[in-house]
Amino acid sequence: MTLLAADIRFEALGIFAVVLSITLVVTYLASKRMGTATDFWAAGRGITGVQNGFAIAGDYMSAASFLGIAGLIYLFGFDGFLYSVGFLVAFLTVLFLLSERMRNSGKFTIADVLSFRLNEKPARAAAALGTLAVAGFYLIAQMVGAGVLIEALVGISFELSVLITGVFMLVYVIAGGMLATTWVQIIKAVLLMVAATVLSIFVLVKIGGNPVDLFNDAKAESPDGQAYLEPGLFLSKPLDTVSLGLGLVLGTAGLPHILMRFFTVPDAKAARSSVVWAVGLIGVFYVMTTMLGFGGRAILGEGAKEAVGAENGNLTAPLLAENLGGGAGTFGGDLFLAVIAAVAFATILAVVAGLVISASGAVAHDVYSNIMRKGQDSEKDEVLVARVAAVAIGAIAILIAILGGQDLNVSYMVGLAFAVAASANFPALLLALTWRRFNTTGAVAGVLVGVTSSILLVLIGPQGPMGEEDAIFTLSNPGIVSIPLGFLACYLGTILSKEEAKAERGFDELYVRSETGLGAEVGTGQKLVGKAD
Amino acid sequence: MAEPGVRVAKSDDGERIDWVAAEQSPEFKELIATKRRFVLPATIFFLSWYFGFILLAGYAPGFMGGSIYEGFTVGYALALSQFVMVWVLSYAYLKRADRDFDPLAEKAAQVAFDAGQKGGKR
Repeated sequence: MTLLAADIRFEALGIFAVVLSITLVVTYLASKRMGTATDFWAAGRGITGVQNGFAIAGDYMSAASFLGIAGLIYLFGFDGFLYSVGFLVAFLTVLFLLSERMRNSGKFTIADVLSFRLNEKPARAAAALGTLAVAGFYLIAQMVGAGVLIEALVGISFELSVLITGVFMLVYVIAGGMLATTWVQIIKAVLLMVAATVLSIFVLVKIGGNPVDLFNDAKAESPDGQAYLEPGLFLSKPLDTVSLGLGLVLGTAGLPHILMRFFTVPDAKAARSSVVWAVGLIGVFYVMTTMLGFGGRAILGEGAKEAVGAENGNLTAPLLAENLGGGAGTFGGDLFLAVIAAVAFATILAVVAGLVISASGAVAHDVYSNIMRKGQDSEKDEVLVARVAAVAIGAIAILIAILGGQDLNVSYMVGLAFAVAASANFPALLLALTWRRFNTTGAVAGVLVGVTSSILLVLIGPQGPMGEEDAIFTLSNPGIVSIPLGFLACYLGTILSKEEAKAERGFDELYVRSETGLGAEVGTGQKLVGKAD
Repeated sequence: MAEPGVRVAKSDDGERIDWVAAEQSPEFKELIATKRRFVLPATIFFLSWYFGFILLAGYAPGFMGGSIYEGFTVGYALALSQFVMVWVLSYAYLKRADRDFDPLAEKAAQVAFDAGQKGGKR
């Protein structure tokens, strides 16, 4: 395969350079508008609903969505598409339960909402732990994914690929804060949508224009035959399917980098419309994963299994693009492959930048500013610490990715991130906003149990070090156990501890604020270009 | 009626507003009741439709693989119905919120704010 050859692909490098230059211009423009903490973490709250919708799409659709789902569908058929469905339906949970309430009652982080009515120190510490766990696992997964992909697609080494990704991620965040991160995500969302649309049209033309033929052609190319169109090839245990579904539909509502995006818009109305824009974009994209996955099977056939990666199929979309452009070695094929490689790279950059800025919020805003300095530090200090924290978090992620290397299983780490988000962050947030009796002990217990149970269950599960045969916990997806455990710990911690007068008094205030927007944070209205309003 | 400035945070907001009274106000109760009339059934519906799909995918693979039209399967049709559900429900929520919830929220906020200005209870 030319694809895996060690020589560097100059077309791909050229297109990478163009994309990176655009993002650097955006970062430069944004850097001139980074004054306050609100500018740094919330882009001055001047992002419009439409812009935020694109940015959420760019923040959310990771390499796991673009390359991972296409690969899973190529390898296992229908089961791969279950991820697309779950990732999308999850946004109804976000829209109905959290997006507007977060905007109305928070400032920069999940912890702001919790500590509003709970004891500041323990509540913030718990929320920061949940945020760092999710962002950490997700970040390492994306960095390893970036390294593997860029190595395969461009021909530079894994280590250098990870390093380049990490450096650009840090440049966006440190110089341009949330404003640059937002625009990198918007650009990426546009690139990804255009690329997926073009590929889908090419697939449809190639199979003769009738979408139904996609399934029949794919089935004909699969050794599994009819089973390829049925559920069960990837998720062989029915309970695992249910557990995955639960983790996906509740996990998104606990992802700190997604929730943080709601602080960047002027008000709850914009937060709400941004989710609707996001589900429009993300939904259309996930429908197109059908074209990429089943199309990959129909067009590339079983023969390409080794080339796309027999374990995860991650290179299905790039190889499909190469084939549709005219095949390996042709000008069109090289060009298509290079474009898809650049889009995949932009995809990862946008996601990791969002993750690092949310993690920097947990370290600088929650731990440093509010726990250590008790809110007595200046905004300048807070932003400085945020930048230092971003460098530290980025450096640690780069190191773990390089040392752990290509052996770290990307989907395993992403699964872990979703499990922690659904089992720790989501229950605590939801109950803080809706349950009067909820108290600090409940929140701390819920987050601790949610984080540890999901990590433990994955460790002793079939994907863990014990391996498929000896696993103590037989499900790959811990959600069905760890999510109820998280909620149960919130509940027991609350009712078994003393009633907390402050938490109950604070409930009325948080409740009224979160539902009406009274006294919601206002921004500086920074925009990338033009005057602030 | 409410001027846009009302929602703007003032540093002394928290001290001057009687939040317990605000939560008890008929305006706030109406907002919550109106929202709940949409959000509760919509949430129950989407969770049922989604987990119905997931349960069928887990426990009835043969049914899901059945062909509706020349290889287009039941499972795939149900999967696509989830996309339609998300688009329809989120758009319906957006319209309802803009039309019904926002004016009620504005009213509830105004009442709480005015009570605070008059030197509420606290």
